[in-house]
Amino acid sequence: MNNKPKVGFYSFSGCEGDLLTILHCEDELLDIFSAVDIRSFRMASSERHDDENLDIAFIEGSITTNKHVKKLKVIRERSKIVVALGTCACYGGPQSARLGYNDWEERFKKVYGSAKLTVAKPFESQPLDEFIKVDYRIPGCPIDKYQFFYALTRLAKGMPVELTKFPVCAECKWNENECLLLKGQLCLGPITAGGCNSRCPNHGLPCIGCWGPTDEANVASEINLLKEKDFSAEEIINKLRLFGGAGMVRRFGELLGIKPKEEKTLSKTQGVSKKKREKK
Amino acid sequence: MKALKLKRDDLYTYLESLKSYGELWGPVAKGEKYVYARLTNVRDVALGALRTIIPPKKFFVPPRFTMFRYTDDHYAESFDDVKPRVLFGLHPCDIHGLLILDELFLERFPDPYYKRRRDATAIVGLSCIPDDKCMARSTNTHAVEGGFDLAFNELGNNYLVWIGSSLGDDLVRLNLDLFSEDIEPEDLKTYLAWRRKRDSRYKLSFDLTGMPDIMELSWDSPMWNELAEKCLACGSCSMVCPTCNCYNVRDVSDLTLNSGVRERHWDSCMNKEYALVAGGHNFREARAERLKLWYTHKLKAFITEYGKPSCVGCGRCIDTCPVDINVAEVIRGLTGQKVTL
Repeated sequence: MNNKPKVGFYSFSGCEGDLLTILHCEDELLDIFSAVDIRSFRMASSERHDDENLDIAFIEGSITTNKHVKKLKVIRERSKIVVALGTCACYGGPQSARLGYNDWEERFKKVYGSAKLTVAKPFESQPLDEFIKVDYRIPGCPIDKYQFFYALTRLAKGMPVELTKFPVCAECKWNENECLLLKGQLCLGPITAGGCNSRCPNHGLPCIGCWGPTDEANVASEINLLKEKDFSAEEIINKLRLFGGAGMVRRFGELLGIKPKEEKTLSKTQGVSKKKREKK
Repeated sequence: MKALKLKRDDLYTYLESLKSYGELWGPVAKGEKYVYARLTNVRDVALGALRTIIPPKKFFVPPRFTMFRYTDDHYAESFDDVKPRVLFGLHPCDIHGLLILDELFLERFPDPYYKRRRDATAIVGLSCIPDDKCMARSTNTHAVEGGFDLAFNELGNNYLVWIGSSLGDDLVRLNLDLFSEDIEPEDLKTYLAWRRKRDSRYKLSFDLTGMPDIMELSWDSPMWNELAEKCLACGSCSMVCPTCNCYNVRDVSDLTLNSGVRERHWDSCMNKEYALVAGGHNFREARAERLKLWYTHKLKAFITEYGKPSCVGCGRCIDTCPVDINVAEVIRGLTGQKVTL
């Protein structure tokens, strides 16, 4: 009998770049498929087992419709561990760049006019944890395959996952890049989660924050610093929000000109799913 | 220590000769900065380089490296990247930085990964004229009396070459014809004049006597909170400091799940997780606490234990911190001088 962990890969709103990153691991694919029992991965196989319980669900993409919410909650019910894969799942991604401004309906009308929607009820893009409990977050746009392997092997062995906590600057120093902030560029390295091996600064491009903020991000100081370097408040805020999504808005909303909102019913959702799991 | 003379024009020829000992590394330009890189072409060496982005510690404790490879029942240490090497162009402050790392990694608990790399490496120093960020004279690390195999000192049209070890003697013999033993009275004059010129160029000057006392008295100084408000907690100061040496260790499993590697990578006490222990307690949750620890280590704890600060005055933190928190500013703040933050 097969006692390998049962794993499912799922995708909501996003470019599926994270799942594609995994599929692009040609040299490691056989090992990945040997390490775990993949029960669902629509980009890889049409064979799916969406009625079974899973040990680990890797979910990419943000949540944008009521149908998503329903599906997402079912996956949560079926899975012991849920891992948000990629920045969209973790923080909402670029489609959540205007989270908190409460102008979604206005924007929707601008693009779609008064078209009637029959398939699903859409809403402002949100990360997974707005609706379910997320056990681990592997950020990235897209994710880094080695960080994914690290998380996968740890989880497959039943161990907790500790991902990089320090910001991009650390690895950027390891790679001995000239500091782009000091050269006057709008670089988000100091406040952005590392683990990407400072990919952009390695190529002379400033960090755009695509892995979301670090736990310890000093966004206020970063904003002051960038203002001293003559960037406008608008430019800075747009950059912070591009990939920061809920990661920025929830923790640093006031700095971005957003009024603090009461914590959503996150704990409630968590409680419900936990209870239901226990019943089973 | 014996002194020889080498003609300036013969430097490149001699650098080429050093390659018969091992890989030759030295400072080269990277944009407007410098990094230690392999000198495949000896003429790439940046003789005017003052400070590299990362100090030479990277050769002995690389930012990340594999300690060993393991399987279910066996492990094998990895020293694949250890090979004979000559590091050329280390300035006195960086040599002092290595001497501090030696105390930590070779004395009470010798670290095999450090030792193997250190033993395989020849150190060739090079004199320098400080810029406005250097403060090695204040830390008394502006000259070297040891810690090198050879040390080159500017001397008009020549280099004065100090032999600091028997390996240094061997290195000279790789191309003995280039060196002369004719030290003349005039050379002493030139050397002294050069020393005066060097010493006159230090813009930063601090009296570090009694620093541990001052640190102790500043324990509750509001300065720490003020600095913490600006600090980005990016850890860059630790990465570029020649004496910061903290690391983290993690096991990275292969996807086959029955083998993998144990790797080490640089860590920093500026990272919040640094002082997090099992059970969830964090000894230095607040950024101010972490900043204070960093500077306490440099200017108090190390002095108390080793009789000298663990700042070698290289100026890298001054050059690196995006929000200008650095050893000079902190000393100014602690000693009641004007802080220019």
